[in-house]
Amino acid sequence: MKKVVAITACPTGIAHTYMAAENLQMAAKEMGVDIKVETQGSIGAENQLTDEDIKAADAVIIAAATKVDKSRFAGKPILEVPVEEAIKNAKGLIEKALKMEKPKGYVEKVEEIHKERSAQRTGAYKHLMTGVSYMIPFVVAGGILIALSFFWGYKAFEVEGTLPWALMKIGGGSAFALMVPILSGYIAFSIADRPGLVPGMVGGMLAVSTGAGFLGGIISGFLAGYTVDYLKKLIKLPKTLEGLMPILILPVLATLIVGLLMVYVIGSPMKAIMTSLTNWLKGMSSTNAVIFGAILGLMMAFDMGGPVNKTAYTFATGLLASNVFAPMAAVMAAGMTPPLGLALATVLFKNRFTKEEIEAGKAAWVLGASFITEGAIPFAAADPFRVIPSIMVGSAVTAALSMLFHIELRAPHGGIFVIPIAVSNPLLYIGVIAIGTVVTAFMIAALKKKVE
Amino acid sequence: MEIKDILDEKMMIFDLKAKNKNGVLKELVSVLKENGVVDDEEGFLEVVKKREEEFSTGIGYGVAIPHGKSSLVKKASIVFGKSCKGIDYNSMDGKPAHLFFLIAVPDNSDELHLKVLAELSRSLMHKEVREELEKASTPEEVIKAFEK
Repeated sequence: MKKVVAITACPTGIAHTYMAAENLQMAAKEMGVDIKVETQGSIGAENQLTDEDIKAADAVIIAAATKVDKSRFAGKPILEVPVEEAIKNAKGLIEKALKMEKPKGYVEKVEEIHKERSAQRTGAYKHLMTGVSYMIPFVVAGGILIALSFFWGYKAFEVEGTLPWALMKIGGGSAFALMVPILSGYIAFSIADRPGLVPGMVGGMLAVSTGAGFLGGIISGFLAGYTVDYLKKLIKLPKTLEGLMPILILPVLATLIVGLLMVYVIGSPMKAIMTSLTNWLKGMSSTNAVIFGAILGLMMAFDMGGPVNKTAYTFATGLLASNVFAPMAAVMAAGMTPPLGLALATVLFKNRFTKEEIEAGKAAWVLGASFITEGAIPFAAADPFRVIPSIMVGSAVTAALSMLFHIELRAPHGGIFVIPIAVSNPLLYIGVIAIGTVVTAFMIAALKKKVE
Repeated sequence: MEIKDILDEKMMIFDLKAKNKNGVLKELVSVLKENGVVDDEEGFLEVVKKREEEFSTGIGYGVAIPHGKSSLVKKASIVFGKSCKGIDYNSMDGKPAHLFFLIAVPDNSDELHLKVLAELSRSLMHKEVREELEKASTPEEVIKAFEK
């Protein structure tokens, strides 16, 4: 049986409040709907709705000529009408209320933002993100299998024929080896469709073999995509031979062009850049590590899954291909603390949040723990100039500490679920995330105003 | 306390003379004055009219329940009025009103009275009650209508 809860109220609170209530009850009875009506008349509130009533209700009707506090109905469809409406057409009201959709919950909101953002991406950023999104599962599979091989000790994989050796061969030797080619191939795919895939992937292979790393792979992907696009426009074949374009002419020509450019032009300078970058990252002084970590952290929290965040994330993920694992740890920790810190703040400093936000805080724990930074967006959208600086500070602290302690992470995603297997020092890492979470929460307490 | 305890047979008019909304309000309020419920007839009429301005108490179904809460009122009372021809009361359903309940409540009315008035308001929503009232031609019949 459907259940509706209602509140009726009128200016003098003598007659209409009760007539409206009676009418709603009569209509509900007729319709086979369970109803409870709270009357806020001159006698005060009668037949008061309990939390259980509200929880069980499918919809809320507020028929009032006066202001009624709606906060206790958070998350329920609310139909608000003048009190006369319930006297005139109670049945219609109940029908309408039951047809109303639930207001979007916190998790749905986050999902929506996620989708919207993907749809809004355009140009080079979209192509890069397409490449990254195809690459990630390879890195996840590879990273976790490599991490598993360490279960038997860091050098266990060196003994041929053993299980850790096999895991390393699968994860490191194959899945990781595919990551730059896949990145490059799908950047090109995003630009030029299927004909882009071959020159893109081959260009990516060359980026790996020439030592140009993931930065080289990004370049080869764009190069391949735009080359194919250009060739498509340049070469005009008679109709009878058109079928040869996608299977013969485009792949061969584009691959040749991209390949030659990678070997003779791009490979060496990119290799030099990658080598100095990895050397710098690996041999970084503590001060530099802290500064670099803080920058990564600020970027991760700044737009919570937007372009700036993705730039830091892509950078750290790409470095996994060059066996640099510390930035990945810093980036993931910094991406987890914004929702976690907000969740903690909703527990510790309830007066800074609306009832809806406190409710959303519960889900934010899960999103934060799963490294879904977007979980912070609904909070940030409501109060950007206080929430965003708070989470940026928290993320910067976390990422800086993670870099300082040289914690390494071999999987690019997974949040708390990959910490036991893919992090070099799980306990310390959890400690670092906890510090960032607490810092974020206290920053919010300091900056955010009390909700009336 | 029940509805019949607050309905006073001296405060019932079975053939309202008034032809329009303001007239009927005046006629009903004058009954309060006659029975010593209010001294300042004009004052209380203003209170009732002011309430009417917020939105019409003509609730449809041929029923109107003008009401006022004021310190001018000495004790919670109801004036019942009936118009066979019907009076245009600017009702929610646009139809003329036949049954009138003028409710007068003192500012510091006790809960008992208010509860009874709430009960009366609820009763008026029921078709059977309204039908009985339309047929009623004596105070006893009016009181009886609420006893069902």
